[in-house]
Amino acid sequence: MFEKNRVLVLSLSILTIFALLLAGCTQAATVPTNDVDMDDSAEEPEPAEETAPAEETEMEDEPAEEEPVTVTFWHGYNAEVETPLLENEIIPAFEAEHPNIKVESVNQPYDEFRRQLIISLNAGTAPDLARIDILWAAEFGDTGALVSMEEFIDNWDTYKDKFLPGPLATNYFNSHYYGLPLDTNTRVLVYNKAMFAEAGIEAPPATMDEFVTACEKISALGEGKYCFADGGTYLWAMGPWLWSMGGAFTDPEITVASGYFNSEQSVAAYEWMRMMVEKGYWHPGILGSGVDSWGGFGQGEIAMLLEGPWFPPSFGDQFPDVEFGLALMPADEAGPVSVVGGEDIVMFQQSENKEAAFLFMDYLLSEEVQLKLSEAGQIPVLASAAESDTIQNHDFFGIFLDQLKYAAARPPHPNLARMEEVYTNYSGYILAGEMDTQEALDAAVLELDPIMESR
Amino acid sequence: MKKSLLLRKNVVPYLFILPLVLFYLSFQLYPMIKEFQMSFFDWTFNPGKENIFVGWENYQHIFQDPKVKLALKNTLLYALITVPGQMILAMLVALLIDALPRGKGVFRVLYYLPVITSWVIASILVRFLFNFPKGIINYLLLDVFSLIDAPINWFGAPGTAFVAIDLLGIWKGIGWSMLIYLSALQGIPKELLEAAEVDGASPWRRFWSVKLPLLTPAISYTLILLTIGAMNVFLSVFLITGGGPQQKTEVFLSYLYHQAFEFFDFGYGAALSVVLAIGLLIVSILQYRFVGKPERLR
Repeated sequence: MFEKNRVLVLSLSILTIFALLLAGCTQAATVPTNDVDMDDSAEEPEPAEETAPAEETEMEDEPAEEEPVTVTFWHGYNAEVETPLLENEIIPAFEAEHPNIKVESVNQPYDEFRRQLIISLNAGTAPDLARIDILWAAEFGDTGALVSMEEFIDNWDTYKDKFLPGPLATNYFNSHYYGLPLDTNTRVLVYNKAMFAEAGIEAPPATMDEFVTACEKISALGEGKYCFADGGTYLWAMGPWLWSMGGAFTDPEITVASGYFNSEQSVAAYEWMRMMVEKGYWHPGILGSGVDSWGGFGQGEIAMLLEGPWFPPSFGDQFPDVEFGLALMPADEAGPVSVVGGEDIVMFQQSENKEAAFLFMDYLLSEEVQLKLSEAGQIPVLASAAESDTIQNHDFFGIFLDQLKYAAARPPHPNLARMEEVYTNYSGYILAGEMDTQEALDAAVLELDPIMESR
Repeated sequence: MKKSLLLRKNVVPYLFILPLVLFYLSFQLYPMIKEFQMSFFDWTFNPGKENIFVGWENYQHIFQDPKVKLALKNTLLYALITVPGQMILAMLVALLIDALPRGKGVFRVLYYLPVITSWVIASILVRFLFNFPKGIINYLLLDVFSLIDAPINWFGAPGTAFVAIDLLGIWKGIGWSMLIYLSALQGIPKELLEAAEVDGASPWRRFWSVKLPLLTPAISYTLILLTIGAMNVFLSVFLITGGGPQQKTEVFLSYLYHQAFEFFDFGYGAALSVVLAIGLLIVSILQYRFVGKPERLR
């Protein structure tokens, strides 16, 4: 009895240890695999892998000459329209062309994206490719995590010419191109037609004065009606108003903020914005508590938003009955200036399948796929695609392409995340009426200059 | 037989704890040592890049960083409000349940449910409840009870944001302390209470002079663990306000997380967590000294 128990205990303990060790090993070696694709099960039966070595001589003239490789692609495409397009059309078409390459699409929500990337870089399990915010290319490139495109692509000098120069430039930092552009966008004014009609506003505001007049009429509709809403006081939200009124975040060379962020025009722009919040024209959610802007817009509580080209297809999906119009950002002394956004596609140094990864990258940047992606609201970055009939005669791209002519970029700087925190905080202090505008902007530049210099 | 008995006594017990020891070594001790090491470096997340030794620079930075002060203040305030809040309410609930003639189990489970509810779900729920301008809390205060004139923008200012965060923390924690108090109450010898009753002690007197002194070890135990828990508040703040607006609701851990995972400043983040750990150790020792020894809890 004793003996039996001891053996049992011993063997159980040993088993546990093994299990733990195994768990540890597999965790370290986890490479995202894709072999449980239910809908593709009609292809080859997977278990063939184990029996293959024994029958190698027989199988010699079978197509399995190269080992099949998996390319992992992280992106934040939305779940409504963009991801289905990628996963159901674009990737299968690519895999049909390249039977030895499997593409695993991994959706990472925007808020988590950077953290997930850092964690996986740290663990040595970075994806092969990622579609990242244009703001991150300089930062990640600067850490040495990304493959420089001009070194990787043999015919770089001719290859790079196919892109629109603006989006391409977002990859350029410290004399390297750390990625390739994938899509570009900007924010335009979106207005709720029913609310405009109810308030008696005939046309979307073309100037800031007209914007204020429109807001007066909207707020006359009653309590709980807001003229405009945005999600916070970050650069993406502040930029269009600040730039249009002649203000700036930094000097053009992106070396200092003082003299620019606290200039006379910047002060005037922030004074104006603070007034908008004070009068209740702007939804107070901009002060940091957040706002469901699409919901409010759809339910006739918010009359105007600034939105990108993903808005028409995705909003239309959620609120098919709400009619909306698109217009340029209201103009002021510097014109109707909006903010440039978009994504770059980057390849990681940790990738073990760089050649295969590049094939997929190149495929996403073919004219055919770029036009396909435009169906989901992604504005192409290829000069040839932008000039094509599809894009030129598109239902709503016209206004975005016009707006892109007047769009400015948030300062590309490796310390942008830190800088953005300062901009966001002080903009919040001003809009909430907690600090005098001039004082706040003077204090902000004192914090910004050293952050910008520390590089 | 003798040999096997010896083996049984000397080896087998260790085999039983071996899995946990391995787990502790790899997931607790190693990260702690690594973190301590990282706190002296300008640490990059990229394996290919060199980490630069900076000595005490990260620690010096902590004491000059005004936001650390704010985060510390917020964290302490959270602890000062939620720890007594949880303890007092948990004590009340425990006394009530203890006095129930039947159905103790049901109420125990009911009050314990929030403890096992996920922080993520509860935090998201709080966001909805305290929504501005149309959350249910605003609706109740404004339309039903007419206590306010205009809806409150709860998450627009740190004071009101912490009302929501503190309430969540208290609500979620009551059940845990309640369970400990309840088992301690049930461990009080009946004779003592009966003797007090015979001597004519009022219920309040019986609680104050008999039950409470006997509950001291349990109270001390919850005080120490709840304080550690409150100083480590993170998920609710992170999910409800994200430290905003303008970082005014930043607590120690959310600020630390921010430094490490937003700005990639892992060395600074590591230094912050070392400081927090040392601070907690000191607080726990002081509490242990002055409030009572929790190990008397049996």
